[in-house]
Amino acid sequence: MDERAVTLTNIKKTYRIGASRKRKAAVEDLTLDVRYGDIFGLLGPNGAGKTTTLKVMLGLVYPQSGEGTLLGKKLGDRSAHRKLGFLPEQSYFYGFLTAEKGLALYGRFFGMDKALLKKRSADLIELVGLPHNSHLTLDKYSKGMQQRFGIAQALLNDPELVILDEPSSGLDPVGQKEVRDILLDLKEQGKTIFLSSHMLSEVENICDSVSILSAGSSVVEGKLADLLTVEGLTRVTLKGPPPPEKSFVFAHSVQSDDGLVAIEVDSREAYLALDEARSLGLELVSAQPYHRSLEDLFLASIKEAPQ
Amino acid sequence: MRNVIAIASSVVRDAARKKVFYVVFLFGIAVLALAPLLPTFDLGLRAQFLRDISISLTSLFGVVLAVVLSVGQVPGEVDKRTIYNVLSKPVSRAQYFLGKYVGILVSLAAIMFVMGIEILILLGAKVHVFSPVVFEGVFAVFLEAALIAAFCLAFSTFAAAPITVFAAILFYFICHMKTGFLYTRMVTGTHGFLKVLSGAVYYAIPNLENFSTSNQVGYGRAASLHGLLRITGYAALFAAVLMILGFLAFRRRDL
Repeated sequence: MDERAVTLTNIKKTYRIGASRKRKAAVEDLTLDVRYGDIFGLLGPNGAGKTTTLKVMLGLVYPQSGEGTLLGKKLGDRSAHRKLGFLPEQSYFYGFLTAEKGLALYGRFFGMDKALLKKRSADLIELVGLPHNSHLTLDKYSKGMQQRFGIAQALLNDPELVILDEPSSGLDPVGQKEVRDILLDLKEQGKTIFLSSHMLSEVENICDSVSILSAGSSVVEGKLADLLTVEGLTRVTLKGPPPPEKSFVFAHSVQSDDGLVAIEVDSREAYLALDEARSLGLELVSAQPYHRSLEDLFLASIKEAPQ
Repeated sequence: MRNVIAIASSVVRDAARKKVFYVVFLFGIAVLALAPLLPTFDLGLRAQFLRDISISLTSLFGVVLAVVLSVGQVPGEVDKRTIYNVLSKPVSRAQYFLGKYVGILVSLAAIMFVMGIEILILLGAKVHVFSPVVFEGVFAVFLEAALIAAFCLAFSTFAAAPITVFAAILFYFICHMKTGFLYTRMVTGTHGFLKVLSGAVYYAIPNLENFSTSNQVGYGRAASLHGLLRITGYAALFAAVLMILGFLAFRRRDL
């Protein structure tokens, strides 16, 4: 069995723009794979091609070339959509419906029977923290409430694959945390999550693998842990007063803050750092491979990417 | 079919929310406003006049309603992007497109049924006549409106709303005039290639005069079952062709 829930191979999508109707590539030769059970983050600056990629996956736009699969079915095969949940970036829902009626409508598309749909709707409304039996229509909801409804409808069919476009958009910090918990819970259940987001901290906290897009192409792709680990560098954290200026001369950096000293050294010199720390009376807290932040990786990738 | 019905029901609900159904009150007022214009001398003439003018008024309302209900269905959903959330579900574009049309037809049928009742009540109140034959006229108007709606829905898959409205007006007039001067111009009055082309256009467009029954209904003459089936089949054929053309344009469109 293919271990990949999503595959895109050499996808190219161009749009005609301006009065000259000149074609511009929104996505160029994009290839990516998402394994079953992973949380995958699609990152990139505005205009990088994230939304177009999602639209190609959902059959909303047709690529000029390339192919792909969703849950083992070719792109465009609607049967894959039975096991798919999608949260659009903004509240693109029928504003004249209440949350219950909206879920009832979307549930009908999945052929859910009434009793199951009713129970599932009530559970999801509870899960995302919306009011029950409210007469408020969706167009009267705040942005945060609409986003919560969006998450509820995306999970209505208990999907195997959830595609989320900016899931934390419009949510306050409490809402963002709740969404994060929902996503981690879905991962626990073995669901595959495809996430497009600008919130690097959110992605860094929950994603297993990422792809960074720039100008329609993937410039970095892989397991997040591997991408953030800098080969050959170790970060040694010590407890104690700031060391003298001339100490740890072999280190790449030495930073002291709040009784902790963080030293980045070549991995083969980690023992030297430990020896010097002992001689200075500093206590070892940890020594581990150096990880850069996703923000550092993102900025470096975008900077180095051909424009 | 389930998806088609679900989408159709959302169209009806949206029409209700936009208060499109209030048009029946407007129609009632318009029909009542006709009452003082009735000739007072002959009860038979009064009934004839009322039936005739009411069906003509229904036709006017029907065409306007068909345009209003259908012109923004697809472009509106594409603009507001509500279409994303429908087509990301296991709903095909064909089901979506057909569902929209069914929803429009149901809305039109509901409104026109009430209009028919209003005409019946008016006839009973003003000239003490019970004329169920008006429903034949209303049915013919419904078929015409269904055709106009199919045209608008098909056209709106690739054109902006104002252009679709303009095209619908043009379509309406051409299809009403085709048996008149257009016949001589298009079929008999030209030569060579132009004659073939204009002839093809002539036969490719429906003749909306087939649905003009106000005169006949005015006289209180019921149509034969054969006649009703003929215009129903005629409308269904042209509506199907228009819907297929519209779907072909919509099928591969980027959203």
